[in-house]
Amino acid sequence: MQEHDIDFDAILGRYRADPFAYRKVRTAHTGRLRCKVREGDEVVGPSGKFRHIPGTLLYELERERNLKRITSFINGQVAMVRSDLEGSFVEAGEHVLTIRHPLKKREIVEDILRQVLTPYTAPERAKYFFSLDLQSSIDKYGQRSVSIKPGDEILTMSLMKRDTPVYYDGEPGIIHSVYFKPGVSVDQGEPLFGICPKDRLPLIEKIITRVKAEWE
Amino acid sequence: MKDKVLIANRGEIALRIMRACRDLGLDYVVVYTEADEQSEHVQRNIDSESNQRRAWRVASYTDPNDILAVADHTKCTAIHPGYGFFSEDYRFARRVTVRDQPLTFIGPKWEVIKDLGDKINTKRVANQLGIPTIPGTDGPIYNEIDAEEISRRLLEDQAERGISQPSVLVKAAAGGGGMGIEEVHEIEQFRRVYRQVQNYAKRQFGDPGVLIEQCLRDYNHLEVQLLCSRHGERVHFGTRNCTIQSTGRQKRLEAAPGFDTSCFPYEFDAPAVLDEIVENSLKLASHVRYDNVGTWEWIVSRSGQPYLLEVNTRIQVENDVSARISYLNGQHPNLIREQIRLALGDKLGYSQSDIEFRGTSIELRIVAEDPQRGFAPWIGTISQFSFPRHEWSAVYTHVPTDRPYAIPSDYDPNLALALVWGDSMAEAKQRARRFLDEMVIEGHNSSGAPINTNLQYLADNMDRLLTF
Repeated sequence: MQEHDIDFDAILGRYRADPFAYRKVRTAHTGRLRCKVREGDEVVGPSGKFRHIPGTLLYELERERNLKRITSFINGQVAMVRSDLEGSFVEAGEHVLTIRHPLKKREIVEDILRQVLTPYTAPERAKYFFSLDLQSSIDKYGQRSVSIKPGDEILTMSLMKRDTPVYYDGEPGIIHSVYFKPGVSVDQGEPLFGICPKDRLPLIEKIITRVKAEWE
Repeated sequence: MKDKVLIANRGEIALRIMRACRDLGLDYVVVYTEADEQSEHVQRNIDSESNQRRAWRVASYTDPNDILAVADHTKCTAIHPGYGFFSEDYRFARRVTVRDQPLTFIGPKWEVIKDLGDKINTKRVANQLGIPTIPGTDGPIYNEIDAEEISRRLLEDQAERGISQPSVLVKAAAGGGGMGIEEVHEIEQFRRVYRQVQNYAKRQFGDPGVLIEQCLRDYNHLEVQLLCSRHGERVHFGTRNCTIQSTGRQKRLEAAPGFDTSCFPYEFDAPAVLDEIVENSLKLASHVRYDNVGTWEWIVSRSGQPYLLEVNTRIQVENDVSARISYLNGQHPNLIREQIRLALGDKLGYSQSDIEFRGTSIELRIVAEDPQRGFAPWIGTISQFSFPRHEWSAVYTHVPTDRPYAIPSDYDPNLALALVWGDSMAEAKQRARRFLDEMVIEGHNSSGAPINTNLQYLADNMDRLLTF
């Protein structure tokens, strides 16, 4: 993608028209549900230098000697609460409430970059881990300093209890953004990380600068 | 109050446990994950109009809090772990049985699982009783240099004894079911393999400890099926042979009895070796006061030397291979039913002399995988799945035959277990081939490529059964 392929005004216009993300909150486990927020309540996500201060308490699941307290993972306003579930025993995965989250500059940049960077997608629904060598390079130098080229062993795909090495077959570049968490299942076709070829770095920088300058 | 069983497993074993509960007049509840919503064990139990709801979605089959929350909510009195997942987790068994509202864990007592579920401890106890085990470490190794030194000694020892291809196995100490095992032929390869297994062990089992053992070649993998009660009664249901495995050491073809002199000219007294491993299995079971269903796994070398490999303190996938050659009052026993009955405190009610062994049986594990590419699992949607029905065969499957089924990538791509039996091994093999010919499995993955299965692999390897 080149600079002239990007219609900055159209992209930013879309975000101006509806600068929110709507995040569904589902029950992480089974248990008896007690909601702790109401529609219209403001909620905050985790904070602190290490994100060690939990966000607003959203709901509790009562289980044997193991009360599960689920806190908000983002800032925003509660847009909807399933009050019909209050006090009932719920299954894992039940949609409990929706949070309307105002997008920040950083999130808009990340969203746009997802469209501009070359995505490396999950070959199968599986759990992914960076290869040992790549992980140690990322730990040492930071992800945006690590280049990869075709043939490099980049990932370990953990699928059906088997570990399979994944070799890179795209264009050379640096790992600009990582979208997966180690050990968490990623659906087939979902992007694992975004690659930026070295010659496209100025374009990426320009996008970041433009959003920062124009977004209030 | 009548017992009610929570089935904490999936796939065909969940269906078999359901059936066993029904046979015993027990109510049951199943749990499932989002990925398994289309599985038969869920679809048969979802009924939105019924108050007697039997299927409950949980975050994971290995989330003890979710499972216990469902058990309490649905007023279950017992939990059947099936195989895998919590079946050999003594901490879970202890938590289930030692709590304010104790439930019955359908398996051995947690203390027994702790003693025998740990491969290292099993090896130590076996050695104390004079039961032979495979040369190697008898404790988990966490240090790369120590592990390398042990491997070097084992390789040198094999070379000195004139073994043509010396090698060692590096195993995840906390692993089981053939997972996390790699072979090393040259000491120069060791560190790479060690790190690979250690990483795998840490990720899958939360314990990076490894075991190092001599790798035996040219052997048969045998099992002894035991059933013990909480009243000190012990019987066996014979032996079976599980030597034919995929590259990941996953069993694919099993047969009972463990050896058959009509199949191969063994260099040793095969019936005597089978008697020896049964006797030693019962000896160890008696020593640890084993109290439920269990499998004693053995390696037998070409010269007839048996070595105890490990004990699986649970029901196994292949339990029915043994049941199909066993007769109790003229009927094949249902070992899952027996397991539940004994866990609920019942007495065995029969002795070894009441069990008769007749005929032969073969189990075919039908899996969506590509044997030509290292048994790589296949993921996609099955559009047609049908199998023949004969008086000499039985099929256990969670794959629906009346609608498409997307194989969930979160779990093994096992499709079905087929049991075939006959008066002789030759007859059973012939029937197994016919059964495979008559099976129909069609499907495609997301890129349109047709399904890979191991049907041809099973047919091709039939003649290897019970041979060296």
